[in-house]
Amino acid sequence: VLLRESWGYSQNLEQRSGSALQGPRLKLIEQASELYAHTKEHTFESKATEEQAKLLKLQQELEIATGQPIFVDSSVSDTIRTCISLGNHRTAQRIRVEFKVPDKRFYWLKVFALATAKQWDALEKF
Amino acid sequence: MAQLPNLDNAPINISALRERAQKDLGAILDSMRGKKVLVLDPQLSGPLALIAQTSLLKEHAVENLFYVSADPVQSECKNVVYLVRPQMALMRQIAAHIQQDNQRQLQKNYAVFFMPRRTIVCEKVLEEEGVLANITIGEYPLYFIPFDEDVLSLELDNSLKECKVDGDTSSLWYLARAITKLQEMYGVIPHIQGKGKAAAQVSDILSRMQREQPRPPPASARLPEIDSLILIDRQVDIVTPMCSQLTYEGLIDEFLQINNGAVELDPIIMGAQQGTTKKVKVPLNSSDKLYRELRDLNFGVVGQVLRQKATSMKQDYSDVTNTQNQSLSDVKEFVKKLNALPEMTRHTNIAQHLSTFTTKPSFLSRLSVEQTLVEGQSYDVSYECVEEVIQRQEPLISVLRLLILLSITNNGLPKKHFDYFRREVLHSYGFEHLFTLNNLEKSGLLTKQEMKNNWQLIKKGLKLVPEESSDVNPTDISYVFSGYAPLSIRLVQCALQNDWRQSELLRLLPGPTFERFDKNQVGPAGDSSRLVALVIFIGGVTFAEISALRFLSAQEGMKYDFIVATTKLINGQNLLKTFIDDPSAVH
Repeated sequence: VLLRESWGYSQNLEQRSGSALQGPRLKLIEQASELYAHTKEHTFESKATEEQAKLLKLQQELEIATGQPIFVDSSVSDTIRTCISLGNHRTAQRIRVEFKVPDKRFYWLKVFALATAKQWDALEKF
Repeated sequence: MAQLPNLDNAPINISALRERAQKDLGAILDSMRGKKVLVLDPQLSGPLALIAQTSLLKEHAVENLFYVSADPVQSECKNVVYLVRPQMALMRQIAAHIQQDNQRQLQKNYAVFFMPRRTIVCEKVLEEEGVLANITIGEYPLYFIPFDEDVLSLELDNSLKECKVDGDTSSLWYLARAITKLQEMYGVIPHIQGKGKAAAQVSDILSRMQREQPRPPPASARLPEIDSLILIDRQVDIVTPMCSQLTYEGLIDEFLQINNGAVELDPIIMGAQQGTTKKVKVPLNSSDKLYRELRDLNFGVVGQVLRQKATSMKQDYSDVTNTQNQSLSDVKEFVKKLNALPEMTRHTNIAQHLSTFTTKPSFLSRLSVEQTLVEGQSYDVSYECVEEVIQRQEPLISVLRLLILLSITNNGLPKKHFDYFRREVLHSYGFEHLFTLNNLEKSGLLTKQEMKNNWQLIKKGLKLVPEESSDVNPTDISYVFSGYAPLSIRLVQCALQNDWRQSELLRLLPGPTFERFDKNQVGPAGDSSRLVALVIFIGGVTFAEISALRFLSAQEGMKYDFIVATTKLINGQNLLKTFIDDPSAVH
């Protein structure tokens, strides 16, 4: 068990030093998630890594779509924030559902994002 | 370099410790003949400034001072002395320096001194890089660094994390060695009490060191100057550093960071003209008489005291100007008082700057959250508060402080909430903090609830939240946190009242409780004189706790003077920083 864990760790470490190409990174993260899944104690870690892989894929798509390298390596919350302030409410909504973001957090983010983007009328409506 | 702290009023002769450190440093520098350059580990420059001034280095023919970095040393000097902590990364840099010199066909003499001791790993690195043969290796056995007349520190930044997460107990060894050195100078301490796993480990190493060293013949053995040693493992009391300190010194540390007994301030705070951007370094120790009065007070009172001082000064001034028949000695008295003026302005400036932080609603609401958490009455309310700060993405460290408080005061979080919070943290601050969370879990700071919660029992038994507490005229140490008495200091009180072993309460806290007497020692000679207790916090101590101890020793009926020693002066901020795994650091 311990061996597997440490192996998973080292895989993760490699992933953390981060290559510019997201492909090999994704693979490593998925691998790590699998390794975590081997043991019972690490279900949380396994799920978290799985989510991270999902997030990374999504961020990559977003970067291609918007042509701006501002998504990769930011957290779930930050991604939602960026989406809202760019006016991309549909993707924000999608992330919310996909990552099961609690309502409270989502509304905090929305308020913050709208306020920073100075979209006062949108804030008013909401 | 700033002035050295004044140590004359210490309960034991601490300046002897500093003199010895200075002598050792001199000896090291003299071990290489002729002019030389000194290359310092950047981490060490602050602590060393508390030991020696630049003039001392000049006396020992040091021409220039550099810091170890990736760049080569820009000097033609033939003799190079390195003074470093035993860390592998530093070794690689030193090796790179030497290799570069070799390529340029420069013949130089190198010496590397490790503080406080050499390690095999480091020598191995130098050997692998092929430079070991060129180097003279030595040690600079500096352990405790005197910070003030009653504060000693090893300045090991990562001690708690290394111990609890990495399983690296070398800091415990250093501590035991440091205590042994103290005992060589001030006599063997006859009475040792301790609480917590690390405390027990230190005590074991200590007694082993004592056995290995031949005892001096009884005739020459001097009377112990320190009567009692109390070892406290930081892990026993994590709650205290997680709370916001509310003493003057504590607040300066929370908001402006005190490093090596000094704080760096923007010149604008100090009332300087616009345009100067160089930070002003203000030393904070008891040489500053006004600071000595103010540092341990609750911040709420500091303003009042300053105002009083100012009015009394004004009164004096009008006395001098009005009355005609002034004797010269009166004037002299007055002028003497005026000398305190720069200190007055300095602290008024600092206090004013601090109050801009303390009046912020966010700070006040944070305090009330902390208070509810410590009281531990309403789990649901505090749960929601913590949830909110995470979701609003407030700075990670301050969020973790609250989260840890929540976890400790509930003896861990219920599984559902534990996973929920962890998920929220990862979502808000990024996936890489999985490792931070892992570190915190491993060290027991943030855990899943497994047993019944006994914080209420502890709180009640040790009177951590006394019903009455006054910040203005404190009768109890709880004033340092405006209502919460630090657990660690309550333990010290228990230890001094001799109900160490029996108490059921202590059993509720993690780690073993122990007590040991040295039979070979005669008891303390004088009975009327004051006793000295050395209180050691393994894993760091906050300024508020030191204040609380000073307060205790000033109480009537307390016959102990305290000396505080620790691995590092901490606050919640810099303690947690060591737990955050920085991905960019791994390369």
